[in-house]
Amino acid sequence: MANEVCFRNMDQDRPWLLEQYRSRGGYEVLTRILREKTPPESIINEVKASGLRGRGGAGFPTGLKWSFIARNAPGQKYVVCNSDEGEPGTFKDRDVLRYNPHQLIEGMVIAGYAIGATRGYNYIRGEFWEPYERFEAALEEARAAGFLGRDLMGSGFDFELHSHLGAGAYICGEETALLESIEGKKGQPRYKPPFPAHFGLYGQPTIINNTESLASIPVIMEKGGQWFKELGVENSGGSKLFSISGNIKNPGVFEIPLGTPFAELLEMAGGMKNGSKIKAVIPGGSSAPIIPGEQMMQLTMDYDAIAKAGSMLGSGAVIVLDDRNCMVKVLERMSYFYYEESCGQCTPCREGTGWLYRVVHRIETGHGRPEDLALLDDMTTKIAGRTICALGDAAAMPVQGMLKHFREEFEYHITHKRCLVS
Amino acid sequence: MNVLRDYIKSLFLLELMRGLALTGRYLFKKKFTVQYPEEKAPISPRFRGLHAQRRYASGEERCIACKLCEATCPALAITIEAEPRADGSRRTTRYDIDLFKCIFCGYCQESCPVDAIVETRLYEYHFENREDAIMTKEKLLAMGDKFEQQLAADIAAQSQYR
Amino acid sequence: MSDDQMVTIQVDGRELKAKAGTLLIEVTDAAGINIPRFCYHKKLSIAANCRMCLVEVAKVPKPLPACATPVNEGMQVYTRSPLALAAQKGTMEFLLINHPLDCPICDQGGECELQDIALGYGNDASRFVEGKRVVPDRDIGPLIATDFTRCIHCTRCVRFGAEIAGIRELGATGRGEHMEIGTYIEKSVDSELSGNIIDICPVGSLTSKPFLYSARAWELVQRKSIAPHDSVGSSLNLHVRRNQVMRVHPRDNEAVNECWISDRDRFSYEGLYSADRLTRPLVKKSGNWVETDWQEALEAVAQGLKRARGTSGNRLGALLSPGATLEEFYLAQKLMRGLGSENIDFRLRQSDFRAEEPAYPWLGQTIAQLDELNAALLIGSNIRKEQPILGHRLRKAALTGAQISFINPLELELNYHATQLVNSPAGMISDLAAVAKALGGYGGLIDSAEVSDVHHRLAEQLRTAERATVLLGNIAVAHPDYALIQGLARIIAGNSGSLLGYLPEAANSVGGRLAGALPGNDGSNAQEMLSNPHKGYLLMGVEPGFDCWNPARAMETLGQAEFVAALSAFRSQSLEQVADVILPIAAFAETSGTYVNAQGEWQSFSGAVAPAGESRPAWKVLRVLGNLLDLPGFDQVSSEEILAEARQVAGDRKPDNSADGGVAYERLLAGVGLTRIGDVPIYALDPLVRRAASLQKTRDAIEASSRINAREAAMAGLADGDKVVVKQDKNSAKLRVVIDPTVPDGCVRIPAGLVGTDTLGGQIGDVTLEKA
Repeated sequence: MANEVCFRNMDQDRPWLLEQYRSRGGYEVLTRILREKTPPESIINEVKASGLRGRGGAGFPTGLKWSFIARNAPGQKYVVCNSDEGEPGTFKDRDVLRYNPHQLIEGMVIAGYAIGATRGYNYIRGEFWEPYERFEAALEEARAAGFLGRDLMGSGFDFELHSHLGAGAYICGEETALLESIEGKKGQPRYKPPFPAHFGLYGQPTIINNTESLASIPVIMEKGGQWFKELGVENSGGSKLFSISGNIKNPGVFEIPLGTPFAELLEMAGGMKNGSKIKAVIPGGSSAPIIPGEQMMQLTMDYDAIAKAGSMLGSGAVIVLDDRNCMVKVLERMSYFYYEESCGQCTPCREGTGWLYRVVHRIETGHGRPEDLALLDDMTTKIAGRTICALGDAAAMPVQGMLKHFREEFEYHITHKRCLVS
Repeated sequence: MNVLRDYIKSLFLLELMRGLALTGRYLFKKKFTVQYPEEKAPISPRFRGLHAQRRYASGEERCIACKLCEATCPALAITIEAEPRADGSRRTTRYDIDLFKCIFCGYCQESCPVDAIVETRLYEYHFENREDAIMTKEKLLAMGDKFEQQLAADIAAQSQYR
Repeated sequence: MSDDQMVTIQVDGRELKAKAGTLLIEVTDAAGINIPRFCYHKKLSIAANCRMCLVEVAKVPKPLPACATPVNEGMQVYTRSPLALAAQKGTMEFLLINHPLDCPICDQGGECELQDIALGYGNDASRFVEGKRVVPDRDIGPLIATDFTRCIHCTRCVRFGAEIAGIRELGATGRGEHMEIGTYIEKSVDSELSGNIIDICPVGSLTSKPFLYSARAWELVQRKSIAPHDSVGSSLNLHVRRNQVMRVHPRDNEAVNECWISDRDRFSYEGLYSADRLTRPLVKKSGNWVETDWQEALEAVAQGLKRARGTSGNRLGALLSPGATLEEFYLAQKLMRGLGSENIDFRLRQSDFRAEEPAYPWLGQTIAQLDELNAALLIGSNIRKEQPILGHRLRKAALTGAQISFINPLELELNYHATQLVNSPAGMISDLAAVAKALGGYGGLIDSAEVSDVHHRLAEQLRTAERATVLLGNIAVAHPDYALIQGLARIIAGNSGSLLGYLPEAANSVGGRLAGALPGNDGSNAQEMLSNPHKGYLLMGVEPGFDCWNPARAMETLGQAEFVAALSAFRSQSLEQVADVILPIAAFAETSGTYVNAQGEWQSFSGAVAPAGESRPAWKVLRVLGNLLDLPGFDQVSSEEILAEARQVAGDRKPDNSADGGVAYERLLAGVGLTRIGDVPIYALDPLVRRAASLQKTRDAIEASSRINAREAAMAGLADGDKVVVKQDKNSAKLRVVIDPTVPDGCVRIPAGLVGTDTLGGQIGDVTLEKA
C-alpha cells in the first residue's frame, strides 16, 4: 500500500531525471489536460473529491482553497509552492524535491491551469542547497521539453515557474510571510483577512500550497479523486509522507496511507532504538502538543484520530522520545527554537516566546520557582490565539502539552533542582 | 450641710494643701524641660529639616532632573532647569528651592525616584540676605555631602515603611 | 454589498451606525469609545502588530484587533468584557517586560501612550525577573534623539517613512526579541517631514533632540499659532514655558496640514533664542552701533525719514519681508503712503516685473484638492523643499495615479514617479513654449518652438486629465524671464483646461497683496528700489544680503542711501552695514497677526510669548512712527483693529489668478555660457530659519558651493573640492566645487541666501568660473 503518490518512483534509479519520470507516464496528465482543454472547474472538483488536505501542517482542504480564487477576474494570478520546510522534525518536502521534482512541476502547472495563473514560484528553504539545485535542473529539463514556458504544447496556455531560495527563517514557512519574502521584504506574516486567494503575491490572487500537496495533484488527476480518497480513511484522504525521527532505529521518510496505525509506522522505522521504552511522541512537528507513548501506540495516523487525542497531525513529522529523555530539556530546546524564530512583529509572540524560553531554561538549570508552572500556564493562554500568525500558537502548544502530560517532571525539577530522568 | 463642709475645708486650708502636695510631687520628679540650645530634643529619622541633594558613592549626583518634585511641590517652591550634560545624561542646570515658599511637607523627598532630594535633620539656620533663602544646587549638594552618613542611615531605617 | 451601505453594530451594548467595511476602531473612536492602541494611526496603514486593541466579538472564539476588523451588520463587540480585558492586559504585560522603567529620565514621561495605557491595563508588579533587553542608541541626525531600548516595535515610524515621508529611511532588522528599528548603515533620517515621527512614536524611543531633557509636558502651556515659513500656513501648537517657546507641535487641520508639519515649522523656534537676537534699539553713531532707548531710536527714525523725504515722498522706499503679518504690511504701506511714497514692495526675490500680475494670486485651488489631481505640471518649483506639506499632498495624488511633471533647471530628488524635464533656465522657456505649442498655442516665441515627444506627452497629460493644474514655484519667480514664464503657463493652463496656480514663497506672500504692500501708480517695485538709489529706505524683517534677488546690488544701492531705517528681530551683518537705525521687533510667536495662505484663507493668531527683551511687535512700532511723523490714522490699539481696517480695504476680494499677459516679451536671459541657478535652500528661506541651529546641521542645510555636473567640470578642468572664483556681473565669490549630477549642462548651481553667496548678483544669471 505504501509509496503510491509522491514516492511512487522511489524504486527507480535516479528518479529525478525527466526521462525516468516520463518512462512511467510523467507529464501525460498535463498533456491530456492541455489537449482536451479540461474545464478548470472539473480539475478543482476532482481535487475536492480526492479529500486532499494541505500537507504543510494546517490540513486545510486543497480543493476548497483553490475554489476561493476568482479565476475569471482580470490580472495576474500566481501559484506558489511552499517548500520552506522549517518545522523541526519535518524533512519530507526535501525528499520530494530531491527525488520527484518533476511531479511537483507538473502539479504546479496543473494548479496554474486550474486557477488561471501563468506564473509560479517555488520558495525553497535556504538550507536546502542540494534540493534547490536538483529542482533547478528539473526546471531546465521541463523548459527544454516544453512543459514550461509560452504556449505549452500548442494549447495557448503559458506557465513559467521559478524557484526562490529563502534565507533560513522559519517564519517564511508561514504563507503570507513567504509571499512578503518573495516580494523582497522582511519575512513577516500579513494580517488576514484578506487571504492570499484575494490578496496574495504582489497583491494579486494567489494559491499557495505545500510541496507534497502540489506533488500529489498529477496522481490525483491520473487515477481520480475517488481512488486517492480511498487510499486513506474518512476525512483523511490519500496517503501521506511521514518524517519519523527520534530514538528509533531507522529514521526517515515513509509514505503510508492515512489511517495507518502508529505502531505500524514505528515498525517500518525499525522500532525503538536499543529496545528502549517509548515515552512520548510528538506526532506533527514540534508545534504539535506531545502525546504519551502508551496512548500513541493505540492511535492511527490520520487527522481526526490525532486531533481527538489533543494534538495534531501537522506536517507529519513524528518525533519519538524514549524514557531516557528529560521532558524539561526537550521543552527548553523547543522553546528556544520559537524564541529564535519569532519574527518580532506582534507583541505576544515577540515578547512571550523569549519569556517562555527563559522560564523553562530557569527550571531546567535548577533555578525554577514554585510559581513558575502557573506562570507558564497563564502565559501560554496569553500568547495562543492573540497573534497575527500561528507561530504564537505553535510556541504555546508544546508548553501546554508538556505541562498537561509531564507536569510532575517539571515539579520535580523545581523542588529538587535536578532531573527525574538522568 | 454643704455650706458647713465648705466652711471647714477653707478654714483648715485643705485645698491649698492639696495643691502644694501636687507641686511637691513634681518638685522631685524627672524634669521634661530641655535646656535649648545647651540641650537638644531627640529627632526622629523622619524629621523634615533643611533640604539636601545626595550623591552616589562614586561622587555622581543622584538627581536626574525628572522634575517630579517640582510638579508635586504644593508651595511651588522648586524651580528646575535641565539639559543634556556633555556625557549625554539628563542633569539639572538649575535646582532652586525657595525657602520662603517651602512648607517642609516632604513631598519632594517622597516623590523622588532616586532619593536625591532629601530633608536633613538640620533645623537651625538663618539668613542675612533675602537671596540666601534660595537653596541653589550647589548649596543643596554641599548639604548632602555634609550629612550623607546621617541621611543614608535615616533612609535605611525608613526603608521598610516605604 | 455596496461600499456606502450603512450597518448597525453593537459596541458594549450601544448601537452604532457605520458604513459597512469601516474599521471597528474608526467607528468606536468616532463614538468616543476608547480602545487602547499603539500601532494604529489614522493616517498610516494597518499593521495590527501591537495587539493592544484586541476586543471580543460575539461568535468569534478569539479576540480580534479592532484596528483591522471591518464592521458588518449585526456585529456585537465587547471592548471591556473579561475576554477583551484579559487580552489587553496580557498584551500590556508582554509590552512591559522589556520596556525599561526609565520614565523619570524619559522625555516622553507625562505624555506617553504606554505610560497612560499601562496605568489602566498594567500590573503594579512585574512577573518578569530576568534582565531586560538593551538596544544601543543610534545617531540618526540633528533633529531626532533615539532610545531604542524603549521601543515597543509598533512600526509607526517605519510606516510613516514609507507611506508619508516617501523615503524608507527607517526599518526593522532582526527577528523576534532582537528586532530593532534602525536606519540603513550610517544613514541619518533626512526627510523634510522627519520630525513627525517624534509625534507618532507612542513611547520615548524617538524624541526631539533640540528639546531634549529641557521641559516636561506638564510644565508646558499650549498656545495656538500658524506656521511662519511657507505659504501653507500649517496650524501649530506652541508649547510655552516661562515665556519661552519650548517646542512646536502640529495642530490637526484636515484642510491644510492634516496632522503633519514640516521640520522647518517644527524646529525653527530655536532661532528665536539665537545669540544675535536683537533686544534693544540700535543707533549708528559715527560708524559705531550704540544701544539706546526707544524714544531716541524712534525719533532718530522719524527725523531720518523726514530728512530723506525732503519735499517728495518719492525719495523714500519700503522693502518688506514676505513673512510679515498682514497687519504689519498694512501699517507699513499706510506709513509710506502717508509720507507720499508709492515705493513699497515685498517681492524681494523677483526680478522680472514686466508682466501684469494677477490681483490676488493663489494656489488656484484648495490645498486639499491637490490630493485629487490627475495631472500637474510644476514650473520652476522644488515643491518638496519649498512647501513640504504641499509636496506631500502632491505625492498623495501621484500615488493614486496622477501624472506629475516638472520643468525645472535642477533635477529634483522626488519620492514618487514623475516626469522631470531638466533644462537650463533659458532652456526652460523653450520647453514651456514647446508644451504651449503642442497644446495649440501660438504667437511670439511659441511659433519657433521645437516640439518633441516629451512635450507632446506633457501636453497630453494635462489635456486628458479630469483635474489638472499648472503651478508656478519659487525658481520660476526668480527667473529673469518670469513674465514669459507666466505668459506661457497661462497659455498652457488655458489651452489644456488646467487650473493655473501660484505656489507663493513665504507665509504671507498672498497677504502682502491684500494689504496693499505693493507699489502704487508710478511707484517703484523691489528691483527698481534696489537698483536706483533712493534717499531713504524702510526695511522690515529683511536681511539685504540674504533676502534679495541680487544681494550685491541691493547692498550697494542701500549703501548709497542717505538714511536707512530697519525693523528687525535679529542683529545682522548685512543690515548693520547699510542701516542707520535698527528697531528690535517681535519675531514669530511673539506677536499677534494674520497670515493669508496659498488657498486664500485668512488665519489670525495671537502671540504666545512676550517679545524678547525690549523688542516690540512691528505693528506697534509702525503705529508710533506714524504718530511721530504726524500722520493721520495711526491710533489703533490692537492688531485686531488694524486687521478690521485692512479687511475693509481688501473688501471681499476673491482669490483670482486671471491677468492679461501675453508672451510678447523680449528674452532677457540669453543663456550663452554658464548660467547660475540660485535656488534658495529649504533652511535659508528667512531670518528665523537661518538661525535655527539644529536645522542648520541637517543634510538639507547645504553650504555655499558651486555645484556643476561632471561634464561641465571636466570641460572647465575642475574637480570635486577645488576652489573656484565665481564672477557674476562685477561681483565675485570664492567657492568650493561640488560635482552634482542634478545640475544640467551649461549651468552651475550656486544657492542663494547663504553666507558666501551673498556677495554675488542675481539668483539666475550669467556667471564665469575660474580656478582659484
